[in-house]
Amino acid sequence: MAINILGKYIRAKYLVSEGLFKTFYGIGPQEASKICARVGLFPKMRMHQLSEQQIMSITKELAGLTIENEARNVVRENIAFKRKIGSYSGIRHLLGFPVHGQNTRNNGRTAKKLNKLNRSG
Amino acid sequence: MKGSVVNLARSAWKGPHIVPLPISKALKEKVPIRTNARSCTILPQFVGILFQVHNGKEYVSFKVTEDMVGFKLGEFAPTRKRFKFSGSGN
Repeated sequence: MAINILGKYIRAKYLVSEGLFKTFYGIGPQEASKICARVGLFPKMRMHQLSEQQIMSITKELAGLTIENEARNVVRENIAFKRKIGSYSGIRHLLGFPVHGQNTRNNGRTAKKLNKLNRSG
Repeated sequence: MKGSVVNLARSAWKGPHIVPLPISKALKEKVPIRTNARSCTILPQFVGILFQVHNGKEYVSFKVTEDMVGFKLGEFAPTRKRFKFSGSGN
């Protein structure tokens, strides 16, 4: 069984805060527990214990935050800004290399996966 | 100015890392500033000045724009060349 919040299906046995930060890009553990506190849920509450009204109020809280594609666009804009002014960090993103001075002889797989101008993750 | 770029790296009481450069002369006479000080923070007074910053081999020239304020001079003079295969070489 799964609970539907904003078109995303979350496993029913998850804690509410856990389910929120594992599902939505742009929400971490802290922000998720803050949302739970604002809605007025007890901390150990599970997804399947939520009532319709509580799901509605969680959705309302989420609507006010920058999550999912909006949050991804913020990251993309920051990378595009660095590329535009031609800084070192922007060039490293363009080439798909690590930005903070790591080695590139071996490893660097994460950078190769993530450091792109049109970053997906 | 990107606040975080400066704030994360350095305590506030020190202020930005400043190197004495002939800024007033460059603004008046429109001559480029040739320098080896890659670690110098770009201040708002530098905007519009042409810089020639050493990259270890030669002086890379670029013009400072408003967006670059808060970064270091060395960030705009890359020290490494991208590896390329060529027919005659390697």
